[in-house]
Amino acid sequence: MIEQRPLWDLFITYVGRNYMRILNLTGEHIMISLIAVGITVMVCVPLGIFLTRNEKAAPYIIGLANVFQTIPSLALLGFLIFVFGIGNDNAICALFLYAMLPVIQNTYTGIRSVPKSYVQAARGMGMTDFQILVKVQLPLARPVLVAGIRVAMVWTIGTATLASAIGGGGLGRLIFSGLSSIRNEIILAGAIPATLLALFADWILKRAQDYFNPSARAVRLAARHGAADGTD
Amino acid sequence: MNEDLPGTQGGVVFKEVTKTYPDGTNAVDRLDLEIRSGGLVSLIGPSGCGKTTTLKMINRLEEPTSGTITVEGEDILRCDPVELRRRIGYVVQEISLFPHLTVAENISVVPSLLGWSAKKTRARVDELLSMAGLPPEKYRFRLPDQLSGGQKQRIGVLRALASDPKVILMDEPFGALDPISREVLQNELVSLQKNLKKTIVFVTHDMGEAIRISDRIVILRKGRVEQEGTAEDIRNSPKNDFVRSFIGEDRLSRMSPDDPAESIVEEPWGMSAPWESAADVLERMEENDREFIQVVDPKSGQWLGMALLGRVRRAASAGETVMKGIYRERKLYAGDATLRDAAEMLADRDISIPVVGEDERFLGVITSAALARLAVERLRSGREEGKQS
Repeated sequence: MIEQRPLWDLFITYVGRNYMRILNLTGEHIMISLIAVGITVMVCVPLGIFLTRNEKAAPYIIGLANVFQTIPSLALLGFLIFVFGIGNDNAICALFLYAMLPVIQNTYTGIRSVPKSYVQAARGMGMTDFQILVKVQLPLARPVLVAGIRVAMVWTIGTATLASAIGGGGLGRLIFSGLSSIRNEIILAGAIPATLLALFADWILKRAQDYFNPSARAVRLAARHGAADGTD
Repeated sequence: MNEDLPGTQGGVVFKEVTKTYPDGTNAVDRLDLEIRSGGLVSLIGPSGCGKTTTLKMINRLEEPTSGTITVEGEDILRCDPVELRRRIGYVVQEISLFPHLTVAENISVVPSLLGWSAKKTRARVDELLSMAGLPPEKYRFRLPDQLSGGQKQRIGVLRALASDPKVILMDEPFGALDPISREVLQNELVSLQKNLKKTIVFVTHDMGEAIRISDRIVILRKGRVEQEGTAEDIRNSPKNDFVRSFIGEDRLSRMSPDDPAESIVEEPWGMSAPWESAADVLERMEENDREFIQVVDPKSGQWLGMALLGRVRRAASAGETVMKGIYRERKLYAGDATLRDAAEMLADRDISIPVVGEDERFLGVITSAALARLAVERLRSGREEGKQS
């Protein structure tokens, strides 16, 4: 009879033999997620801003993003095979569609919740519409906006594990091959790094959020004072 | 610049200016007004008299429908509005310091728009802070949240002064302050004006304030100048009953409980149109933390009722319009209500009272704050009289 080795032992052995593969897949996972979130931010933040200026379109666009959100992720990947075929392109596109909602929604509500009196004051002091956006509306909407990006980031890293189901890469490969060969240590070798990645990304964005918080920034400015110039 | 001759190039001049809103009401009606350079002029009048619209036309936040306005001799309709605004100081009603910027950054908004060097800007900020009695090393990097109401508004004034504009517009800048800080800031503004010789256009609804600070007072009513002159002129020879009811340093303190309630009517914080959905209105009320909102027909100006939070919430969950949430029993008629009536109603229930005129036309609200201000003013004048005798 074969002796049953404990799971942690199997896991350590597997990781010891395959660490290069795990690292590569982790790298690929990060790439897929970053590209997807990058595209999402680049498309959806401007889209959210656009919606604040075209209020009538807002319910339609947000409704559409909501529809994508509601489609089960695996089903969405399946649909997109007809468009992109098999591979990472398909996965990135699906992840983008999936992450749209929180970014659009939070950009839109974040900017809209900036009190009108600030916008009016800014205009009265001679800011152009673009300056009002960049110097007043976006900074004041930032906490809400970044919260949306954080949600999108964590979802994307989580959902990216499904990419391998349609022939994409990433840590999902390990999870799926572990599942099909009924080897728990391989599942863990994929699941643990994926979880850590999501937690880490969330933490980084939270740190960035704290760093740009006005009071932290004011303290930094004051500390730099002397050599630095207080007026930016 | 010769400040004594009328018709000199300086200051702000309105010629036949009319502002008509899309709904056909004239906020400002063929207004002729000359604000001489170096003067501090108050625009005052009841709500809806066009004082804020008049002010906002000077920096083109509102565009006149017809007529011309010149600032320092220049026709502002020929200027680029953005450029124009950078040349005119602006202090707004609410304390609108940008909460994400430090005190120094708030003050240097306009200098940075004008592309001043960092060094020049910084020197200017320090100069202004010192002038206002706020040690720069202590206040430069504070955030607006770390300041008192009086300090915030002081910074608001410094922000308008930063690029050394010739003309400064102030829209009820001290309205949100407690009476003591308000008086301090009013005195500061007067001495500042003496030293800097700016042309200041100051909108207020408080006659006491207008008298305390301004060289000249312009009383507006329905978009036209009712009377214009020094506080003395107006007090000695009020042109008509309307002006008479509006003036006197002790207008407030001499008021008797039997005076018309109309004299302390204010603009409400917000209004709603009858066709708005209750859900939208509810959101606005909750955002602003309000218990009620006045529902007014924007076309006719007719008062339709006052929507109360609880009722609006029920109407919202039923998917109805705001009209389902209104309450019509609480109101005063401008013609016959006295201050005593208003006070009794407010003592009974501490919610602003809508005041309506003929044909249920909405005139504004009476708040307990307005009544409290009246009481404070009375107490203070009583104390001063006591000291003198």
